[in-house]
Amino acid sequence: MSLLRNLATGLRSLFRREQVDRELNEELGAYLEMEAAEKMKQGMSRNDALREVRLERGSLEVTKDLVRSGGWEFFTETCWQDLRYAIRTLRKSPGFTAAVVLTLALGIGANTAIFTLTDAVMLKSLPVANPGQLYRLGDNNNCCVMVGTQNGGSFVLYSYPLYEELRDHTPEFSELAAFEPWTSDLNVRRAGSAAQPYKGEYVSGNYFPMFGIKPFAGRLLGPADDSPGAPPAAVMSYHTWQLRFGSDPSVIGSTVNINGVACTIAGVTTRGFYGDTLRSDPPDFWLPLAGDPEKWRLPNAATEFLYAIGRLKPGFTPDSVQVRLTVQLQQWLSSHREVIPDRDQKDIPQQHIRLTPSAGGVQQMQTDYASGLQLLLTLSGLLLLIGCANIANLLLARGSANRPQIAVRLALGAARSRLIRQMLTESLLLAIAGGLAGLYVAYAGAHAILLLAFRGAEYVPIDARPSFPVLGFALLVSLGTGIVFGIAPAWMASRCDPAGALRGAGRSGSDRFSTAQKPLLIAQVAFSIVLLIGAGLVTQSLRNIEYQHFGFVTEGRLIVKVAPGLSGYTPDKLEGLYQRLEETMPQTPGVLSASLSWYSPLAGDNANEPVFIQGKPTDYRWTAPSWDRVGPHYFETIGTRLLRGRAIDERDVPGAPNVAVINETFARRFFPNENPIGQHLGMWDASHSGDYEIVGIVEDAKYQDTRGPAYATFFLPLLQAAPEDPFRGWVGAIELHVAGKPENLEPAVRKTLADIDPNLTVLSMMSFGEQVARNFNQERLIARLTDLFGALALILACVGLYGITAYGVARRTNEIGIRMALGADRRNVLGLVLRAAIFQLGLGLAIGIPATLAGGNLLASQLYGVKSYDPVILGVAAVVLAGCGIVAAYVPARRATRVDPLAALRYE
Amino acid sequence: MPDKPSDLVQGTLDMLILKTLALEPIHGYGISVRIEQMSKGVFRLNAGSLFLAIQRLERDGLIDGEWKPTENNRRARYYTLTAKGQKRLDSETREWGRQVTAIARILEAS
Repeated sequence: MSLLRNLATGLRSLFRREQVDRELNEELGAYLEMEAAEKMKQGMSRNDALREVRLERGSLEVTKDLVRSGGWEFFTETCWQDLRYAIRTLRKSPGFTAAVVLTLALGIGANTAIFTLTDAVMLKSLPVANPGQLYRLGDNNNCCVMVGTQNGGSFVLYSYPLYEELRDHTPEFSELAAFEPWTSDLNVRRAGSAAQPYKGEYVSGNYFPMFGIKPFAGRLLGPADDSPGAPPAAVMSYHTWQLRFGSDPSVIGSTVNINGVACTIAGVTTRGFYGDTLRSDPPDFWLPLAGDPEKWRLPNAATEFLYAIGRLKPGFTPDSVQVRLTVQLQQWLSSHREVIPDRDQKDIPQQHIRLTPSAGGVQQMQTDYASGLQLLLTLSGLLLLIGCANIANLLLARGSANRPQIAVRLALGAARSRLIRQMLTESLLLAIAGGLAGLYVAYAGAHAILLLAFRGAEYVPIDARPSFPVLGFALLVSLGTGIVFGIAPAWMASRCDPAGALRGAGRSGSDRFSTAQKPLLIAQVAFSIVLLIGAGLVTQSLRNIEYQHFGFVTEGRLIVKVAPGLSGYTPDKLEGLYQRLEETMPQTPGVLSASLSWYSPLAGDNANEPVFIQGKPTDYRWTAPSWDRVGPHYFETIGTRLLRGRAIDERDVPGAPNVAVINETFARRFFPNENPIGQHLGMWDASHSGDYEIVGIVEDAKYQDTRGPAYATFFLPLLQAAPEDPFRGWVGAIELHVAGKPENLEPAVRKTLADIDPNLTVLSMMSFGEQVARNFNQERLIARLTDLFGALALILACVGLYGITAYGVARRTNEIGIRMALGADRRNVLGLVLRAAIFQLGLGLAIGIPATLAGGNLLASQLYGVKSYDPVILGVAAVVLAGCGIVAAYVPARRATRVDPLAALRYE
Repeated sequence: MPDKPSDLVQGTLDMLILKTLALEPIHGYGISVRIEQMSKGVFRLNAGSLFLAIQRLERDGLIDGEWKPTENNRRARYYTLTAKGQKRLDSETREWGRQVTAIARILEAS
C-alpha cells in the first residue's frame, strides 16, 4: 500500500515536475511568510523580517534541493542527468570516443566470439528431451573396430551380442541404444536422377526412442525396423531434407536407392537434431544396424564396434549402475571365451564400464578443442586487459585535463560521490557502446572462426548466433571492463584539491595521474610481449607441422575419393575396373601418373592388423602395424621414395606370387639386424605367415598422426587377398600426379571417370595439399587468431605509448621551454622524453618475458618442433615491440624538440 | 544568553511530528512552532529536515496532506494523522518509553 503510494508520488514528481516544484515552492513560501509574519508581530518591518528568516533558515533553494533529494525518483533523475551529460561530453570528443569504442569492440568482440564457440562446443546439450538423463557406456573416444580387451580395461566399444546382453539386463535404463562411432559414405539415388554421395550412420532400433525426439514429418525408426527381415527404411535429417531435397514432402514415404538397396524414407527428424555427436558434416541419414553392409560384423561377439548411450531412469545413480554393468560385462566375457584371446583371459577382472554424463553427446569435438579453446580464451582475455589498460590511460589523461573543471565543481559544493558516479556513468556508457559494437564483431568473428576451424566441412551444426548465455557474457564483460578502467581515473579525479588545482599547481613535474599511467603502460607492454611471443610460437609451430617432410609430396597431386562398393560393384568386377582406371587415367591430358589405393595418407583413415613374420615368434609388445593396399606406381605417384628392392607394379595381380612392401620403421622393428627383402609375412594368424614375400622398402610416411613418428606400415597389392580378408581389394582413393595446379584438372578428371563408368560416384576430389591442410584446422585457427591478437596488442601498446608520451610532452611544455631557454639543446630534450618511454618499455619487457617463460607450459602441448622458450622468437618479438614502441614515442618526442622556448614560457 | 538549540536525537523527528499532528491537523510552520514551543525552545527545526520528514511520512501513508487556506488568506498544506500513523505513533511512543527508562537506569547506576 505505502509502496504503491511511494511509487505514485515518485512518478508524479518525475513526470509532472513543474507542478510538484510549484507546490513545494508554495509550501515553503507559506512557511517563510508565516515565520516572517510572526516576527512582524514583534515589531519588525516586513523586509527586515524576511531577511532575518532567510538568514536563520538558509537559502530556499538549498532547502528545496534537500527535500527533493529525499525521494527515490531523485536518484533516477540524477542518473538520467549523468547519462545525458555523459552523452554530451562524449559527443564533444568524437576522436576519444571512437578510439575507446573501437578498442572495446575488438576486445569484447574477440572474447565474445570465442565464448560463443566455447558455449556452442563445450556447454550446449544435445537438442533432445531431458539430455541430463543420458549416460554413455565408456569414458574415452577409442575408435573404431577393436578386438579383445580395451584401453586400460575401460570398455567403450561393444560388439552387437554384448550390447544386446547389456540392453536386455539393465532395467535401470529406460532405453539403451547403440550406434556406430563413425559416419559412413552413402551412395543415394532417387528414381530418375544421378547418384549423390551422402553421410549415414547405422543405429539400433531404439536410438530415436532413447533420445526422445519427434519426427518433423513421417515417422522415425523403431525397434521393428532393426530386425533381420524388416523392409529397409531410413530417416533423414531436417537439414538435409531442407537443403538437398528442397523440403520436398513427396520424399517422405518414397523409395530411394541407398548403396544399391531400395530403401523407404520413413521420415525426417526434428529441426536441429544432428545425432549423437557434435561433428562437422553430421549424418544425412540414419539407418538400422541390421542394414549395415558389413554383414559379418553384427553377429560376431568378438568385433567391438558400437558406442552405447542409455537414458537412466529417475532415481538411479550412475555409480551404482556402472558397478552392475561391470559385473555383467565380466560375467559375459567369462562365458564368451572367444572374445578375449587366451593370453589376455587373466585381465578379465580389470575390464570395466564407466558411465559418462552425455548431455552433450559423445564428447569428440569437445575433447579435441578443449585445450585450444582454453588457450584462445586466455589470449583474448589478455587482449581485453591490454585494451582496458589503454582506455584507463586515456581516461586518466582526460581526467587530468578536466581537473580545473572538477575543482570548480568541488569548490561549488558538488559531492565527491556524485562526481565519481558521473564519471563512472561515462565509462559504463562507453563500455556498453563498446559491448554492442563488440557483439557485431563477435557475430562476424564467430562465422570466420567456424570457417577456419572446420575448413572443408559442408555443414557444421554449430550456431554462430550469440545465445542468451553469450549475450549475458558480453554484457558482463562490458560492465566489468567499464568498472575496471573507469573507477581508478574517476576516483583520482575526484580526489583533487580544489584550491591547488585552481591555482594551477601540478601543471608540470609529476602528479598522481602520471604515476598511475606508468604502471598501466608497463603492464600493457608486458601483456603485449606475452601475446607477441605466443603468436610467434604458434605460427612457427604451424609452419613446422604443415610443411614438415611427411614422406610424400603434396604439390601437383590430386586425390579422388570413390567407393565402387556403393556404386554397385561386386568383388568379381573389381579387377576389370581397376585395369580400366590404371590404363585410362594417365591418358587424361595433364596427368603424369595415376594410381589406386585402399586409402590415401592423412585423409583420416588408418587400418592396423597384427602381423605374423615367418620363422619368428609372435611379438605382442608392439601395437599392430598399419597396412594399406596399393596399385602399381603408387609410391611414385604420391612421391614416396623407394629405398630398396622394388615397388608394387603391374606384375602383382591375383594368381602371381603374393608380395609386400614395407616402410623403414617396419623394417627396423621387425628385422633389426637382417635384410627384410625375401622374408615372408602374413595376417590373421600364424598359419598365414608365409603369405606375402617382402620385395621392397619405402621411406617412412605419415598416414594418420602428424605429430608423432610414422607408424610401422606394410603395403600389399590391391587384389592379392586371402579369402577371409573382409576388406579384400576395395579401392577408396585414386591418386593422380599432375602438371600444373591440381584444382584446374578436376573437370577433365571427372569427365574421364564418367567415361569409364557414369555410375562410379565421386565422393570428393581435392588436391593432396588441401587434404593434408585439413589435418591442421585447429592449429591454423589458433595460429591465425593468436597472430591477430598479437598484432592488435602491438597496435594498442604503441597507441598507448604514443598517447602517454604526447600527453607528457604537452604537460611539460613549460618545463621544456625553461630547459631550452637555459641552454638545453634538442638532443637533451629528445633524450629527456625518450628516456622515460624506453624505461617503461624495458620494464614491461623485463616483466613480460619471464612471465611468458613461466606460462609457456600452457602452450607447450600445442607446439610442434619449437620450444616454448625459443630464443629467436623471443628476441624477434622483443625487438619488434621495442622498435614499434620507440617509433611511437619518437613522434611526440620530436615535437618536444620543436618547442619554441619563448612561446613555451608564455604557455599556460 | 539562552542555551543553544539542541539537535534532535536521531530518528525521533518522525515521532515528534506524528505527536504534534495527533493533537490537531496543522501546516508545516505550525508543526515547527509547536515543537519549538513544547520543547521550550530546546528543539528548533530546520525547514529542510522538516519537509524531508513530512515528505517521507506522507509517502509511507502515516500522514495525509491537503491544501487549505490559512488565517491570513494564503494557501498551505495541512497535515492530518492517518490511522496507520496513529498506530505507528503508539508503538514508537511505547518503544521510546522503554528505551528512556533503560538508559536512565544505566545512567543512574553507580
